[in-house]
Amino acid sequence: MPPLLAARSQMGTSLVFHIIFSVLGVGLPLLMFIAEGVAIRKKDPVWFTLARRWSIAAAIIFAIGAVSGTIVEFELGLLWPTYIRYTGEIIGPMFAFEGFAFFLEAIFFGIYLYGWNRLPPLVHWLSSVPIVIGGAASAWFIVTTNSWMNTPTGFQFKGNQITGIDTISAIFNPTTPYATVHMILACYVACGFGVAAVYAYFMLRGRRSDYYRKGMLLALAVALIATPLQIVSGDFNARFLSYAQQAKFAAMEGVFKTASHVPLHIGGIPDPATEQYYFSIDIPNGTSILAKDSPNGVIKGLDAFKPQDRPNPIAVHLSFDTMVGIGFFTLFVVIIFWALYLLRRRVFPENRLLLLAVLLCGPLSFLAVELGWMVTELGRQPWVIYNFLRTSEAVTSAPFLNISFLVFSAVYVILAITLIALLLRQARQPLPELTWEKVTSQSGEQEYEEVGV
Amino acid sequence: MMFLPYIILSILWLSLIAYAVLGGADFGAGMWVLLAFGPTKEQQRKLIDMALGPVWETNHVWLIFLVVGLFSAFPIAFSVLSIVLFVPLSLALLGVVMRGSAFAFRTHAKRRGTTEAWSYVFSLSTIITPFFLGVSAAAVASGKILVREGTVVANLGTFWLNPFALVIGAMAIALCATLAAIYLTVEATSMDDTEMARTFRLRGLIAGAITALLGALGLLLSPPYAPQLWQGMLNHAIPVVAATMIIGLGAAAALYLGYYRIARPLIIAETAFLLGSWGVSQFPYLIPPDLTIDNAAGAPSTELLLLIGIIIGMLIIIPSIFYLFYIFKFQGSMGVLEKGNVPETRVPGRGTKVPSLK
Repeated sequence: MPPLLAARSQMGTSLVFHIIFSVLGVGLPLLMFIAEGVAIRKKDPVWFTLARRWSIAAAIIFAIGAVSGTIVEFELGLLWPTYIRYTGEIIGPMFAFEGFAFFLEAIFFGIYLYGWNRLPPLVHWLSSVPIVIGGAASAWFIVTTNSWMNTPTGFQFKGNQITGIDTISAIFNPTTPYATVHMILACYVACGFGVAAVYAYFMLRGRRSDYYRKGMLLALAVALIATPLQIVSGDFNARFLSYAQQAKFAAMEGVFKTASHVPLHIGGIPDPATEQYYFSIDIPNGTSILAKDSPNGVIKGLDAFKPQDRPNPIAVHLSFDTMVGIGFFTLFVVIIFWALYLLRRRVFPENRLLLLAVLLCGPLSFLAVELGWMVTELGRQPWVIYNFLRTSEAVTSAPFLNISFLVFSAVYVILAITLIALLLRQARQPLPELTWEKVTSQSGEQEYEEVGV
Repeated sequence: MMFLPYIILSILWLSLIAYAVLGGADFGAGMWVLLAFGPTKEQQRKLIDMALGPVWETNHVWLIFLVVGLFSAFPIAFSVLSIVLFVPLSLALLGVVMRGSAFAFRTHAKRRGTTEAWSYVFSLSTIITPFFLGVSAAAVASGKILVREGTVVANLGTFWLNPFALVIGAMAIALCATLAAIYLTVEATSMDDTEMARTFRLRGLIAGAITALLGALGLLLSPPYAPQLWQGMLNHAIPVVAATMIIGLGAAAALYLGYYRIARPLIIAETAFLLGSWGVSQFPYLIPPDLTIDNAAGAPSTELLLLIGIIIGMLIIIPSIFYLFYIFKFQGSMGVLEKGNVPETRVPGRGTKVPSLK
């Protein structure tokens, strides 16, 4: 494997792996915060047990997230030393701020997880607040840096010298407001559906107690709020890209030639070699209307960019369309669920088909997160810092990149298998006797013994 | 604004010390899991798990802060180190990943076989990281990373493989083990397990002696392998190095006599002075012989923003960390002047044992 490909593969694998844990790390604390809050207020053992069990799952997930995040931070330099030199100098402080947000999460997560019996209930509950804030803040800081890579501002580049650095204007680059909101919402959507899917699975296997219903209700409530907002945010993003990142937009919609009256291609394969579209469903004028509010709207095609500056539209277009498709499918499912629930006066819909659909939404939402990230990253190629630094110029000259890629990939596979096995075994553990006295008197240690994963 | 890089570097150096005394001890504790033997083997591991559980992730974040702080404030230096130390840093990173995940897996996997297997991964990986971080530090200190006009001149594969770097790597392992053993004497005493405290007292003394030996060996090897560092030390770091040695002896004495709560801050100070003497010896170079702190520093406006951010961040983080350690490490801990139960020593003329304050 040539070094550039090895480095890109290693970075890509690391991010595909890490993003799942960062999404869970932002979303799960919100669920724990709500569940424990309700539990304390109503003295409800079911909500309490939910919060407590989520915290155990979160402990494992956080640990893997922390170490896989460390890999990514190191890899920014180990694989892309030239990239980190420019990025560090211009927008590096964002990573340092993210470090503080991460500190906040780690500190209070330690307190939350090990403090169930050491702290008064209210203090314990409040210790989840910094985790929720820290999670969202980390996402904001990191995605802001990624936004800057897409629309770099705050510096001048003259003869290989960077001058006039203005980090504040780099932070508030045009992409920041769109991308950060989209990513943070994605965390809540994916976590909502991910947790709901776990309970849908157990309900399909015949476990239908209050515990599973309440867990699924809260998860789907978060999804109900976040999913429509996410779709609106997605529309804002796409419109923004249609003028701010035109090459990426052309790849997303598979537009080869600059024109007005551009149709919307749903699915299909945009072949860059022949500049032809295969197997797509076309809606006349669709892309022009969606992006410019008029069939006369002119969309820049890939032909507006030099051949060496074009992203490959196949992966970008397919990722984009699948992500959008998943977004609408999950919205449909969550609306049906709540419509049935409310129409039947708060009787939990336990229809098999609906539960199957909810189960499907879990993995699909995480797939959508991965695909959305592919759209952003692959759509920016061949640049790592758009229009300033090519990915091929940023790669390291260090040896052994192939070995490094192989070793780290093997590590990810081992970690993923172990983690899934552990989480499944934990979820299958029988519930404790659900009375308020019983669940609150358990010590953390006992909990582990009883869960006995 | 010429002083900005110096302030930031000092903060980063303090973070390095924090990582060494906190994260380093977590690595050391992992080694004691590997070396747990005797009838109390299971209790030893349990004590270590309880000591690490609430704090290891927070301690680990210091490493992340160091990395991002370095590339924000000294982008060229970080990019150079990433290239020349690709192999040792990748290996250290591998250790970090395996250690963290293995710890989570073994704490939460209560099934015997799984726990046992991940325990081995956990304890073996805790040796890898300190060793390769030590090797990397020695490679920087050796002054062989040549940077000409922004590009690196070095034998990328093997220049870091020399006796000096290997000794420093081994010393890092021994130091981590010493730190952990001393902390564990306090943890064990706080839980009224005097037998366990004595076990770790003995291990702390042995690991400390090995650290001192390797340190002396490293000092002997530095004139041929790290001449610039040696010169720098002779020129302006003699007092710091002397202080390091005296504090080390103090820590050993406190540990020997059973004053664990005094030995703990002393070994922390020892580590701080050790890393401090490295920093002072190589001043004003960041990566000798070509990159000084001044010419490796990034843009002043970025540094200023970074410093403001660090100050605000620390104002939030430091009290939070104290709160965390207060809950899990100081509440119900043994008293500062409390003396642990140590084996009777037969020194002539000192037949009576000092009674414990308990």
